[in-house]
Amino acid sequence: MTGRTKFVFAGLLIAAAVTYLIVSSTGSTAHYFLTIEELRAMGDDAYGRNITISGAVLGDTIAYDSSGPRVTFTVVQVPGDPEEVERGGGLAAVLHAAVNDLGAPRLEVVYNDVKPDLLQHEAQAIIRGQLGEDGRFYADEVLLKCPTRYEEDVPGQSGGA
Amino acid sequence: MLAEVGTIVVGLALAVALYAACAAFWGIRRADSCWALSARNGVHTTTGLLGLALLALLVAFLGDQFQIQYVAQHSSIALPLYLKVSSVWAGQEGSLLLWSFLQALFTSLVVARPSDRTRSLVPWATVFLCLVTAFFTAVTLFLSSPFFQLGMMPPDGQGLNPLLRHPGMIFHPPALYLGYVGLSVPFAFALAALVTRQVRGWPGAVRRWTLAAWLFLGLGLLLGARWAYDVLGWGGYWGWDPVENAGLLPWFTVTALLHSAVMQERRGGFRVWNLLLAVFSFTLVLFGTFTTRSGLIQSVHAFARSNLGPYFLTAIVLTLAGSLALVYSRRSILVNSRPVEGLFSRDGMFFLALILFLTLTVSVLIGSVLPTITEALTGQRYEAGPDWFDRVTGPQFAALVLVIGVCPLLGSTASAMRRLRSRGLPGLLGAALLTAGAALAGFTQWVSLVGFAIIGLAGATTLAEYVRDVAARSRGPAGENPLRALWSLFGRNRRKYGGYLVHTGVILMALGIVGTRMYAFETELVLSSGKPVPVADYTLVFEELGGEPADDHLSTWASLAVYRNGDYLTRLEPRMDQYVGFDQTVALPALHSSLREDLYLVLAGWSENGAIATFKVFVNPLASFLWFGGLVFLVGGAVAVWPSAREERVPAPQARRRMLGTNVGLVVGLLVVVAAGVAMWGWGAGFGIEARSAGRPLTGQPAPDFTLDLLDGSTLALADLRGQVVVINFWATWCPPCEDEMPDLQVSWSEYQAEGVVFVGIAFDDEEAAVQKMISRFGLTYPMALDVGGDISAAYGITGVPETFVVDAQGNVAHVHIGPVSVQELRDELESLLEE
Repeated sequence: MTGRTKFVFAGLLIAAAVTYLIVSSTGSTAHYFLTIEELRAMGDDAYGRNITISGAVLGDTIAYDSSGPRVTFTVVQVPGDPEEVERGGGLAAVLHAAVNDLGAPRLEVVYNDVKPDLLQHEAQAIIRGQLGEDGRFYADEVLLKCPTRYEEDVPGQSGGA
Repeated sequence: MLAEVGTIVVGLALAVALYAACAAFWGIRRADSCWALSARNGVHTTTGLLGLALLALLVAFLGDQFQIQYVAQHSSIALPLYLKVSSVWAGQEGSLLLWSFLQALFTSLVVARPSDRTRSLVPWATVFLCLVTAFFTAVTLFLSSPFFQLGMMPPDGQGLNPLLRHPGMIFHPPALYLGYVGLSVPFAFALAALVTRQVRGWPGAVRRWTLAAWLFLGLGLLLGARWAYDVLGWGGYWGWDPVENAGLLPWFTVTALLHSAVMQERRGGFRVWNLLLAVFSFTLVLFGTFTTRSGLIQSVHAFARSNLGPYFLTAIVLTLAGSLALVYSRRSILVNSRPVEGLFSRDGMFFLALILFLTLTVSVLIGSVLPTITEALTGQRYEAGPDWFDRVTGPQFAALVLVIGVCPLLGSTASAMRRLRSRGLPGLLGAALLTAGAALAGFTQWVSLVGFAIIGLAGATTLAEYVRDVAARSRGPAGENPLRALWSLFGRNRRKYGGYLVHTGVILMALGIVGTRMYAFETELVLSSGKPVPVADYTLVFEELGGEPADDHLSTWASLAVYRNGDYLTRLEPRMDQYVGFDQTVALPALHSSLREDLYLVLAGWSENGAIATFKVFVNPLASFLWFGGLVFLVGGAVAVWPSAREERVPAPQARRRMLGTNVGLVVGLLVVVAAGVAMWGWGAGFGIEARSAGRPLTGQPAPDFTLDLLDGSTLALADLRGQVVVINFWATWCPPCEDEMPDLQVSWSEYQAEGVVFVGIAFDDEEAAVQKMISRFGLTYPMALDVGGDISAAYGITGVPETFVVDAQGNVAHVHIGPVSVQELRDELESLLEE
């Protein structure tokens, strides 16, 4: 083997090892990214898998027991596709529509942790965890985003530079 | 007024930047130095104008000009001065203006004093740099202007997001932007080299620019990690969030560029690598900005979904396609005909490092867009969490550290297996020692032991390299003493020894990463006041809850005594700030750092009466190594960036001017490192810690002995009371809660006196007359004394009055009450103690 082929060979070997790492990790530690509708459609298949769910938080359902600590709340279906969100008039509008849609699929979430600061009505929750046999979703991690704060709509906006 | 000035000035800057690009181009076409000079003046004018715009925005913030929307959204009257300054770049609009300014400033610095090696490339580089400046200025002007006005004057601004109110936020974003902007310099020179077909010397010519960009990017990432650790209160420092990854990706490629640039300088090889890495680094900066601002990737840190996405995407596609086409068209001059050395040589290790940096970049890129990729491939969206990233990148980082460790063992030629045998001993020793030490210290997972072995190897070979070179100098004709030898080594070859120092920092950080990623411990605890609870090696005693209102938030803190293995360690005060206007709470953790581990406490909630509080407790092993390694890393980078005296020979007057520049650079560099140090250590490690000599004895521990002269003239020694239950009450006449509990203590005393229970009241910081007055007012009959000198109070570690200790018949502390005690509580405790 010449020097150059050795280099190519070593490079390919590393690339192959990293590809294997990526594929195997995707199988074992990656999460299914699902909307609530898709989770429901999976049926019994969903139990025990690592799943990431995105949904809109219903403010009235937030219950916090600080002695656990444990927080439970319900999230409502929002579309997962960014384009669909865009067609719905942006994230804030989609979240607002979702929490007022009584027919949309809902999911009860149990999170054995301290109540996150941003857990509030109409926040977008991205929840990593597993679906329990009781139909509730047991969260390992909850990420929250409040469109009202981050998009910074200023009331009575007018005029310009 | 300021807004109009700002807008006009930014508009002018855009026009001048475009003019400068055209003028530079025209100067090249006509080979006319007049046009080139005009382009240079244009560049400086752009910098001046953008600086003026930035100044206008700063003045708007300092003057509370809330009719400007950006100011109204990110500031308020009550905001402290330093935060008003940092608010300038707290949002997208302001940070883009800062970015444009820095971009122009770097362009100015590039054209101001071209060196002999860069002179022929500067004209084309000016064209590309001016285009980049124009792009960012145009985005600032047309799409995301910080000078947009509301048409009315709100009475006050909305204030700065509480999470951003941290001193680290003054340094973190500018450091990152300096890094991002700096990357445009090697990019522009790479393109200039391609256009002019001078592809040989450019990586060396812009080496210092590349190094500086790399150093600032590293500083920004480190400060960001430290900010997350200090402020976000989740116990970690790196969550593989897309925004974090956006900074990490170009850092990977620019690190690779630094290494491949060395190979081109030394061997003339790796030409395509260098060009592509410079292009990728700059493209990844655009990509990071695109992903975090386009809503493409879900992130909690991301800026608002904005309309910038398509423009950045277009810029990325144009940059990539144009650069790659240029590389392809010049392929004939990029081939390197030199034979390469074998894989087991320094060349080989450089090559492996490059491959690993590339696979790391690709891995993190794939992880960032995994849902999109897997949906296209399998129809199912998978999402990569931190586990995924740790699993995928962990082995690659380990391989990189291994390469760091093996490289010094190898010679520059392949035949150096002999050298490996003669130099391998320290490495093997280091690996064995660190692995054994870690295993003995309780780090026993086998994966981590492999990690420790690699780290030990790399640490020992790097150290051996210093030792060998220092020894050679002290034995040599100069015969310097070892310290002086080390100093002159750094003076003579800053690149080499700065590089080794950077590697040392990386090795130390690796130690911290293994500890914190594999052995971190996390739990939630609900603590009642005064009741010790064991957790890991610690015992925590929650003492009390306090609060104080500030301008726009309510601050609540909990005070805890911390014991390790039964010995008093420190007191920690985690805090929670509730911002009413923002409807947001910020939990400020308190932490105790030691070499072995960090104890990290977060106050998460509390009961109405303050008697019970919920805490998150994190134990992060070896975390100190991460931060210390980070500092070593920065210092090493600063050393490598340093121009060394013999690198360029220049005439005396010019040398004097350079000397001045060097000294200014030295001061700036030192300030950066000191600022980084303060931001990383000062506020973090010192936060909430109050130096104290002793803590309260824990329940079950012996009560500190004392002898008291009682007010009735007799003496009382605790040691004489073995076999009896003793209630020791610390109080003071100036303390209202003490008055509340006095009747209860008197009732208990009269109830249990007959059963052999001894009560003693110890007045803290008091006078006899006042105490006598109190005794007669409440009709107290139990023994009473003054703690003259406060020695007893100190021995019992009291932090306030009243506090009550119940000591059992064996002389050990059975119960501790912080705050007033009631008849019922004492009755329960005394009954159970008397039964024993």
